[in-house]
Amino acid sequence: MTISTLSDWTGEVGTVTIGATKADGGTRSGTVTIGGERDLAFIGNPPTGNRPLIAYELCDDPSLWPAPVIRFLGDRASDPAEWARFAAGEYRPDLIRLYLTSTRKRGFSAFAAITTTVENILQATGLPLIIEGSNDPELDSEVFRRIGEAGEGERLLIGTAEAGRYRSIAASAMAFGHLVIAQSPIDINLAKQLNILLREIGLPHDRIVIDPYTGALGYGFEYSYSVMERIRTAALKGDDDLAMPMISSAIDSLTVKEVREADPSASDRTSVAWELYAMLPATVAGASIVCVRHPSTIQPLKAAIEALWSPPGGGA
Amino acid sequence: MALKALDIYKLLPKKNCKECGEPTCLTFAMKLASGKVKPEDCPYLDENVREILGASTRPPVQRVKLGVGERSFAVGDEIVQFRHEKTFFHEPGIMTAVSDLMDPDSIQAVVADVRDHLLVRIGLDLRLNGIAVWSASGSPDAFATAVEAVEAVAELPEVLMAEDPAVQEAGLAVCGNYRPLIHAATGDQYREMCALAVKHGCPLAIRAPDLDALAGLSGLCTAEGVSHLVLDLTSPSLHDMLNQATAVRQQAITRTAPALGYPVFLDTRPCGLPDAALICGVLKYGSVLVADPLSEASRKALLVLRQNIYTDPQKPIQITPGIYRVGSPGPDAPVLLTVNFSLTYFTLQGYLEASGTDSFMLIVDTEGLSVLTSVAAGKLSETLVRDSLKEFAVPDLVKHRTLIIPGYAAPLSGKIEDETGWKVLVGPRDAADIAEFLEKEWT
Ligand code: B12
Ligand code: SF4
Repeated sequence: MTISTLSDWTGEVGTVTIGATKADGGTRSGTVTIGGERDLAFIGNPPTGNRPLIAYELCDDPSLWPAPVIRFLGDRASDPAEWARFAAGEYRPDLIRLYLTSTRKRGFSAFAAITTTVENILQATGLPLIIEGSNDPELDSEVFRRIGEAGEGERLLIGTAEAGRYRSIAASAMAFGHLVIAQSPIDINLAKQLNILLREIGLPHDRIVIDPYTGALGYGFEYSYSVMERIRTAALKGDDDLAMPMISSAIDSLTVKEVREADPSASDRTSVAWELYAMLPATVAGASIVCVRHPSTIQPLKAAIEALWSPPGGGA
Repeated sequence: MALKALDIYKLLPKKNCKECGEPTCLTFAMKLASGKVKPEDCPYLDENVREILGASTRPPVQRVKLGVGERSFAVGDEIVQFRHEKTFFHEPGIMTAVSDLMDPDSIQAVVADVRDHLLVRIGLDLRLNGIAVWSASGSPDAFATAVEAVEAVAELPEVLMAEDPAVQEAGLAVCGNYRPLIHAATGDQYREMCALAVKHGCPLAIRAPDLDALAGLSGLCTAEGVSHLVLDLTSPSLHDMLNQATAVRQQAITRTAPALGYPVFLDTRPCGLPDAALICGVLKYGSVLVADPLSEASRKALLVLRQNIYTDPQKPIQITPGIYRVGSPGPDAPVLLTVNFSLTYFTLQGYLEASGTDSFMLIVDTEGLSVLTSVAAGKLSETLVRDSLKEFAVPDLVKHRTLIIPGYAAPLSGKIEDETGWKVLVGPRDAADIAEFLEKEWT
């Protein structure tokens, strides 16, 4: 007898490929594929599916971004392209996630700027991209059309679709060949419902990434961790409407009390700790893409994911 | 061997009196079989039956206690693989490592720090748990001196890490009465280590090259009379630690390999990624975790993660609804409405205290949901506010009739005014802004 993990799962997480190289009609220097797991995260020799990836988050209006990151970056934060180039070059995330926070200001109407920003980011880095548009239904249709068009052929992952507002995003994804993030508030049934809605309007399952919403460490993370485990095990038990890979971003990590009130000399370290201690658990719970905002979190998170992923000696 | 539900049912009083909290004796039997209730929950079992049931329904992961006194802690006694299936019960003890090559002063500085460090969060005390003393020198005398240095400062639970029985014995001679964890028995010296564990009544960690060998060793040790075992799954590979700990938990819960039904020990030092190893240990089934001293940032995040993972996922941590005072509020003091989710209460209370304004907090029963969540779920309503004002006799406490509500409850402000007749002031969304708000709006 050899004692090992008991794996009697029957289902499999679907795969999603983000980005397109020249050969596929895009300009990315490489693509990434997530999903494909047939067991719990990191379980198996070697583990099933694809290694979890790290997305580095930035934005086009830093006034809405956490202070520790802005302090760390200085002037770079005022130009998203420069910011992306710096982060991709120095810290080596697997993807870049751009939030078009400019659209969240009252009275936003600079739609042409969206096209320019997305184009600039595409030029600044060869990494596959995630683009977050508006979250106001009034703006959605125009904003997502602009994003879709500017990134046509690039197989972007665009977000974020929610139960009340998913049509504009899905329409743009279908028209321009992109992928969609589907977010629901920490609830497995709502996650499933949204995926069904998206399928019904014509978006196939292999174009969806689930975002189960991630509360920050100490501020709802306990719920998010378990909902991710539940979604993953539902997929492994064969529920096709939950068998998409997941993305996790604890977006409030750097604004929680512990980080905000940390001694200035410990601000960077506390930021990294708060992101690392939520995002590594997210991968263990089953997330395929985890997101961070402090550049210094990327390296320790990556080292940890690699150590969890690689069996000793690198083989079976 | 575990009894089946029907076998258990035959031993029950069959009164169907519901006093155990279950609708029938049969449901009680079913839950007992799966470890979800305890024999003691039925008040009508005779001693004999209780004993039979107790032994055969022993939790799939043995309970093991480390240390004595106030800071002692128990691990094990777990019944699920995923916390959403029920909950995780006994959080891992985090043991800070010192070695017998350190001078006594440095050891004592570490020990004092572990003794004194305290993070209070949501009204709960979060602490590191104890000290792991590591025999690096191989000398019995040096080991005993190091253990003495620890003992001189604090009565904290200890792990004595020395595989040479002679060295282990020297350490136990100093602190054997305080139930340290003996680390570790191996295939070569388990008889001597078991003898030490029996002599001092201590739990014993065991180590073997793979899980099959570990299961075998566990059987050998129980045969020597040691039943409080801890399985050491330390490896330089984080991948192996996670896989093995998962295998052990799965085998234990399903009772496929009862010889592995013990808590797990992980030394996070060999893999070279202390934060990552601690995170995995907390998430995936570590019960005793050894680590070098951590930075303040890591320590805080670790304690909060452990608190998150070990809270009951079905039941938010709540406080009793009612009127709570900050300072000594008089009849002119402001009344601030909030919900009975502990995190919300303690966050607001902290900022109110810092503001220096004496005030009343009116805590209403939203079943432990936060402000934003209870507004979204419709659990915070104008009628709840009206009834709570009345129930807690708020009109008798203050002369004014103004209620400050959370910024996120703004959509309810008109309805609350109509329903209660009180004037509503919408406060800031973030409790951190409360001092400034009170200064401006409350004169
Ligand atoms: C954890 C969580 C849950 C947990 C519950 C946790 C709990 N005990 O409440 C679970 C998973 C159960 C949950 C469920 C739901 N959730 Co929820 N949840 C969260 C999450 C991630 C964190 C909540 C939290 O802990 N906040 C921390 C506490 C301290 O915040 P707070 O109570 O609001 O207090 C702050 C302020 O309000 C202020 N304050 C507090 N009191 C007072 C008093 C005064 C006088 C003043 C001035 C200020 C003040 O100070 C505090 C600190 O600043 C939030 C996202 C977020 N960022 O808030 C979503 C969120 C609140 N949930 C949301 C939703 C929609 C839901 C559901 C309705 C979804 C569903 N399943 O249908 C359910 C409803 C619950 C139900 N039907 O049972 C949405 C709400 C959307 C909206 N804007 O209306 C959110 C924002 C997530 C999202 N973006 O989609 N949720
Ligand atoms: S308390 Fe005992 S006798 Fe009464 S219902 Fe429960 S199991 Fe049956």
